[in-house]
Amino acid sequence: MDLLSHPGDGTADAADTPLDGAVAAVLREVAAMLQRLARDPAFDDAIDLMSLQLDDDARARLRRRLGRGEVDATLDLGGCTRIRETAYAGAWWVWRDDADERTQFEQIVVARVPALLRTHPEDVAAAARRLAVELDAAPGRTETP
Amino acid sequence: MTEPKLLGEVLRERGVSRRAFLMYASCMSSLMALPPSAAAAMAEGLAKARRQSVIWLSFQECTGCIESLTRSFSPSLEDLIFDFISLDYQHALQAASGEAAEDARRHAMRDNKGKYIVVVDGSVPMGDGGVYSTIAGQTNQQMLAETVADAAAVVAVGTCAAFGGLPQAQPNPTGAVPIEQLVAGKPVINIPGCPPLPQAMAGTITQILAFGKLPELDALKRPRAFFGESIHDRCYRRPFYKRGQFAKSFDDEGARKGWCLYELGCKGPVTYNSCATTKWNGGVSFPIQSGHGCIGCSEPGFWDMGGLYRPLASSARPLQRVVPIAAAAGVAVGAGTALLARKRLAGASQQGDKT
Repeated sequence: MDLLSHPGDGTADAADTPLDGAVAAVLREVAAMLQRLARDPAFDDAIDLMSLQLDDDARARLRRRLGRGEVDATLDLGGCTRIRETAYAGAWWVWRDDADERTQFEQIVVARVPALLRTHPEDVAAAARRLAVELDAAPGRTETP
Repeated sequence: MTEPKLLGEVLRERGVSRRAFLMYASCMSSLMALPPSAAAAMAEGLAKARRQSVIWLSFQECTGCIESLTRSFSPSLEDLIFDFISLDYQHALQAASGEAAEDARRHAMRDNKGKYIVVVDGSVPMGDGGVYSTIAGQTNQQMLAETVADAAAVVAVGTCAAFGGLPQAQPNPTGAVPIEQLVAGKPVINIPGCPPLPQAMAGTITQILAFGKLPELDALKRPRAFFGESIHDRCYRRPFYKRGQFAKSFDDEGARKGWCLYELGCKGPVTYNSCATTKWNGGVSFPIQSGHGCIGCSEPGFWDMGGLYRPLASSARPLQRVVPIAAAAGVAVGAGTALLARKRLAGASQQGDKT
């Protein structure tokens, strides 16, 4: 069993999924945010699903309706975080489960790339320094065969 | 003295990426109902903060508050809070004892003058010269006064520290008082609960660290992010309340069907806390979900509210004149009860909460 699967996961062919008020409202908000992203590539915002009173069934219908896209990333950050593109490019489903598979965090992010996927410039700088130091310390190992 | 490194640098050396900061901040922002866009600012603020010195004083308490903080998070990202702070004095956790422990406290006060945060759990006994609780030859009052003198802020965790709690319950044999009554000229934040939610403690300290200012507080100096709504406001059983469907005993049909526990003494309508949304033990449940009414532990004087199992309607509190109507009518009176609760809180604030 995929420990990070969610009930209701599915492909993007769920246009027939019945929508109630809450799910429809979230979808309309996603649509509006996608329009803003289309106009402004730097747009980056999210809907915090933890703050909404959506029951498991509504959440599953929302997930089915948004479907799956091309990208599915797993982040190992003191626990497992999953970032999955929906069938609507630019809309991402981001969630984090604890060790007991309870969802701690769940958002729909609308952005070209979710901030959690991007590497922070200071981490890049630190990585560059570290690799340079390692190569300097062991020059013989860096020669091209 | 060399300025300590920034948290971002310290933790990067230990393999914690800025992405982990952002994930932590995203979880905290979500818990605090901040806009999702606040997470990035919080992460940047944390990375640029320095490790915060915290002196934790324990007075008339049961150690439940520190247990709540240290035992509730599974070993994962949330543990970062213990990397963000330097817990320089805490009876239950520190290895040092006796004079060495007191030296550590005074050393931290000297080195971080004007910058350290004092966290207090437990109330302070004022009766008979404070003899009912002493540490290292000092009464609790003396130790509190000495320690907060150069503090940046004081955080009273648990209902005993925030409002007097159980030690202050009638007849209050030790003359217990809450921390706020003894602290002048310093900002005080109350994080009540018996025990308080660990997320409320960690979230409040995180917010101070990240944004360099106190969180928004309610009339009782509780962070609105965690105490802005009543348990009743966010209770999943509220639809039953609205329909007038109440369990009459803990094993009747209504209880089995998950109906409202109002008539079994639930204090949810007058209790402000986020148990109903954050829940306990990593989000497993909270008392009402487990079949027991809220006992109102984050409110002033909860122990003297007329009995844990007596409905608000029959309590000795001023609510008794109005709430019976709510129980009878069910529909539409929820808002009235909430309004009454808010008025009560405002009244308690004006009176300095003598309840």
